[in-house]
Amino acid sequence: MRKPIAWWGERALLVLISVVVLFPIAWMFLTAFKQPRDAYSLSLNFAPTLQNFVTVFSDPWNLGGMVLNSVVVATVTVAIAVPCASLAAYSFSRFRVRGRKFLFFLILSTQFIPAVVIVLPFFLMFRNLGLLDTRVALIIVNLAIVTPFVIWMIKGFIDAIPTDSEEAAMIDGASRLRVIKDIVLPMAAPGILTSSIFCFILTWNEFLFALILTRRDAVTLPVGLVSFRTERGDLWELMSAAGVMITVPIFVMAMLIQKHFTRGMTAGAVK
Amino acid sequence: MKERTLFYALLVPAFVIVLATTLYPLAYSFVTSFREWDLTKQRRPGDFVGFQNYVHAASESGFQNSLWVTTIFVVTSVILTLVLAMSLALLLRRKGKMHTFTRVILILPFAMSPALIGVSYRFMFNPEFGVIAKGLGAVFPALEGVPWLADPDLAMAILVLTDVWHWTPYMTFMCLGGLASIPRETEEAARIDGASNLRIIFGIVLPQMKGVLLVTAVLKTIFALKMFDQVVTLTGGGPGTSTETMAFFIFNVGFKWFDMGYASALAWILTAIMMLISAWYVRMLLSERKMTTA
Repeated sequence: MRKPIAWWGERALLVLISVVVLFPIAWMFLTAFKQPRDAYSLSLNFAPTLQNFVTVFSDPWNLGGMVLNSVVVATVTVAIAVPCASLAAYSFSRFRVRGRKFLFFLILSTQFIPAVVIVLPFFLMFRNLGLLDTRVALIIVNLAIVTPFVIWMIKGFIDAIPTDSEEAAMIDGASRLRVIKDIVLPMAAPGILTSSIFCFILTWNEFLFALILTRRDAVTLPVGLVSFRTERGDLWELMSAAGVMITVPIFVMAMLIQKHFTRGMTAGAVK
Repeated sequence: MKERTLFYALLVPAFVIVLATTLYPLAYSFVTSFREWDLTKQRRPGDFVGFQNYVHAASESGFQNSLWVTTIFVVTSVILTLVLAMSLALLLRRKGKMHTFTRVILILPFAMSPALIGVSYRFMFNPEFGVIAKGLGAVFPALEGVPWLADPDLAMAILVLTDVWHWTPYMTFMCLGGLASIPRETEEAARIDGASNLRIIFGIVLPQMKGVLLVTAVLKTIFALKMFDQVVTLTGGGPGTSTETMAFFIFNVGFKWFDMGYASALAWILTAIMMLISAWYVRMLLSERKMTTA
């Protein structure tokens, strides 16, 4: 049986979309394994090398320190933001208290504040406290961006959990806190995990704060990219190697939550 | 009574974080926006100068340029992203192995660091050894040797392209979620009656998607208004000042020229613009809700 033209057209379109999505990423990965002279040619016929990775991890680039900074900043930010946000999300989702909508809107409206507005005062404050170029400073400002977003996301997941079993448990005399610990948390776990990874990705990729608040010691990976722009020009093969280091962990995480991600994205948004 | 206490108690940790990390700095920069404060000359905040910083903004060409650049950027990137995301969602909601594969890889651009996206597009559009610049030149000889990022309009177009590439996947997921939540019955009935695909999409599906599309538009507008990362790594605001978005301009005023008072005032103008646009969207959204429930 011959397939109709529309069928083939749809497949062609899907292939085209996949190419547009994957090509820039694939090109970066290829370049990361090229020797400098191959990086500047478009040839696909090259002898792959790990030299670029060795170079970025040694002096003067020292990518290792940046990897550590990125890991610490993102992990601690998630570890603080997600538990606090989960409690708040539950509260917003389940209690019918007056003023609830206003408070929720207040939290969400902080998302409309541009990061530049927040970073100016923080820069001055950290300068006075001697906290410029430290991970602590980055964690504090990242919390500003991430916390409201995580509350919104987790609330979406909790809203989607039916309240029946909670109500039954409370009629049987269980306290709210017991209900949260034994019923809600286990059921919301996939959603909370998805939100945590999402929050990790946001912090990991954060650029503006790190660019302004760090110089040398606390530089994170995205800002480290800029240092490969030297007087000798842009060192593309090294940038690509660093780019691979930035993307691989995040891509792995993104794939893990891919299914939940689509749902989580929409659960909060559509309401 | 006890419920009420618990409601607030659970909110405390999150509110402490939000108050400390956003509302306090916001108040601080608001006060600073009425002061004169050149950080290269004085460590402590200077005198209050009333609305002088705001008045200065009204007549300063650098700021006005950034307003214009931001407007063009926001309008083009929001429209392109929304149209593409909605079309992709309509395509990807169908069943099939290739559809699933495309849905899965679609998360990658979103997970990629925007700073890195800027860097890689800068590499690919390099006229001497960039793969896209060279590839386009080979296919269309007229495009050979075009100095992509050195041309003000093309640089802006590429900046928009990086942003659309980054955000379309996320917005597609939102549209997919919206599509999944609308009932299929009317659509199927119309199909049985022999309505064409286009008529079904424009007559039945899209009207029901209005709410979701509005939310998507708000989010995308807010993200676009904050555009900063790729400006630094892709164009550096150039050529000239042709891609200096507001966020980038404020960054320059604050951290290159260290004029804290003026930078704070500009930051507040940007905040006010975002608030106004969001409020306008929310009003549209609310009236939309009323119409559909009535």
